[in-house]
Amino acid sequence: MSGKPNDFSPKILAFLCNWCSYAGADLAGVSRMQYPSNIRVIRFMCTGRIDPIFIIKALTNGVDGVLIAGCHPGECHYGKGNLYTRRRVLMTKKLLECIGIEPERLHLAWVAASEGPKFAEVVKDFTEQTKNLGPNPLAVLTKQERTVL
Amino acid sequence: MENNLYLAWSPDATIQGMGSSGGAVTALLRCALENQMVDAVLAVKKRNNSRFDAVPTLITDPELVHETAGAMHFAPLNMVKIIKEYLDGAMDMRVAVTCKPCDARAFIELAKRNQVRRENLFLVGLNCSGTYLPTVAEQMIREAFGENPQDLAGEEVDEGKLIITLKDGSTKEKDLEELVRQGYEMRENCLRCSYKVPRMADIACGKWGNNGKSATFIEICSPKGHEFLDAAAQNGALVMEPATNEQIEKRKQKETEAVENAQAREKQEIEAFKRYSSEERLKYWLGHLSRCIKCFGCRDACPICFCKECYLEPYRGCIPGGETPPDIMFQLIRLSHVADSCVNCGQCQDACPMEIPLTRLYSVLNSELADIFDYKPGVDIDQPPPLTTVTEQELSIDAPDIIGENSSDR
Ligand code: SF4
Ligand code: SF4
Ligand code: SF4
Ligand code: FES
Repeated sequence: MSGKPNDFSPKILAFLCNWCSYAGADLAGVSRMQYPSNIRVIRFMCTGRIDPIFIIKALTNGVDGVLIAGCHPGECHYGKGNLYTRRRVLMTKKLLECIGIEPERLHLAWVAASEGPKFAEVVKDFTEQTKNLGPNPLAVLTKQERTVL
Repeated sequence: MENNLYLAWSPDATIQGMGSSGGAVTALLRCALENQMVDAVLAVKKRNNSRFDAVPTLITDPELVHETAGAMHFAPLNMVKIIKEYLDGAMDMRVAVTCKPCDARAFIELAKRNQVRRENLFLVGLNCSGTYLPTVAEQMIREAFGENPQDLAGEEVDEGKLIITLKDGSTKEKDLEELVRQGYEMRENCLRCSYKVPRMADIACGKWGNNGKSATFIEICSPKGHEFLDAAAQNGALVMEPATNEQIEKRKQKETEAVENAQAREKQEIEAFKRYSSEERLKYWLGHLSRCIKCFGCRDACPICFCKECYLEPYRGCIPGGETPPDIMFQLIRLSHVADSCVNCGQCQDACPMEIPLTRLYSVLNSELADIFDYKPGVDIDQPPPLTTVTEQELSIDAPDIIGENSSDR
């Protein structure tokens, strides 16, 4: 990682729902669509399983962005898991803003199993956005600095 | 409409002398116990006869009700945690509790989460115009008022003044603003608290509007409130008189003034916060939080924190044991857990030995979320907490950052 934002390659953690977005990512893959390789994927059975603490922990551990992708409203396999997630993400973004981490480091998108191209698009856009934000301020601080500031 | 605004006092001269405004609350609680309308009364009591030290006390003998102290502005306790932790959330016991607006709001939030049983509680709300930390108050009485703190018999905040009554019956008053200039400020959360009359309780009692009469102005806020007051009036424990227009006006004027001051303060804080850049905020909070000694005081004092399996404990694998200061994750977990429901009671900040301005963090987030979710914690028992509820209507909104009309104005 160098200081120049242009060569900065962000580390992004993606929380994907097993039933839609994970399959959408698969489809993007088998269709050989190009998208940035910055994401590391964790698969969830439903976005409704994502505790805001997972997001916050990822960011305090130094990832530069967290992407959450799940089924469109009305399509969640468990009914309303994604609707809870939408509310929690709204809350978490505000929480991040309050303590001074850019809320744009967190992004929620709906990607259905058939939306391979959309998945590639979402990853591309979010990677670009995170790149423009630069490194996560918490990742830049050493542990020492974090606690004696 | 059924009248719900009264002036009330006790016909019993001894009770009248003991309570601050005609002894109405004391008489009401006593009557509720005597007639077995409740199993116990939970109220505050002075310790060692000091107005700077209060203890919660559970009373089952009507003869002992007079030992309770009414409003204590210099020893803010929180009654909610006591019901929740030590009385099993009043699950199988009917308790009458005296409570400040912030207590009443915390009861409502916990009732929504099934941690206390609202039907078993008779919430006797006491209007509140703010409280001081005991240490601040003691020094203020000694230095700003030039009096021995042990001589204090009562205190009251009214019309921008702090009025104290001494044991010899004399009174002294000082301008709140003048006191602030000398470094004596109310608890920070009280300054921004705009809930001065606890209408979420069963009744709201206070001096505002008694217009000098030795009586309590009572607003009845629920059917249960009517039931208890009717019983007290029928038993001759209380004399009740419908409030006159003049009294109602006076009370309204005082309330409006207090609420507007608090709202102005809150607005000022939020605007100040918005002027800070992201880096400045992070630096500010890292600076404060790095003093944390992980004593768990904030968690233990908070009425809203009630998880049995707490994420802050090392075995949950999130915050390693034996490390101080803990990673900022420690406070962020708490923040995410009280985000939508913090009632700004200030107990966390009072408990913090490192004087970290915790409520400043919670209240800013809380007010931002209030706009998004159209939610005010602790006000309406029928409105579910916004993070544990969704509506049918949201099924047909596709945008990932909108849940309704209000949420889009981010
Ligand atoms: S927060 Fe509000 S209700 Fe609670 S003690 Fe302060 S002023 Fe009173
Ligand atoms: S976080 Fe602090 S101010 Fe909020 S409810 Fe808990 S103890 Fe009260
Ligand atoms: S009360 Fe203060 S010092 Fe104790 S754990 Fe909470 S923030 Fe840290
Ligand atoms: S199953 Fe995909 S978000 Fe719930």
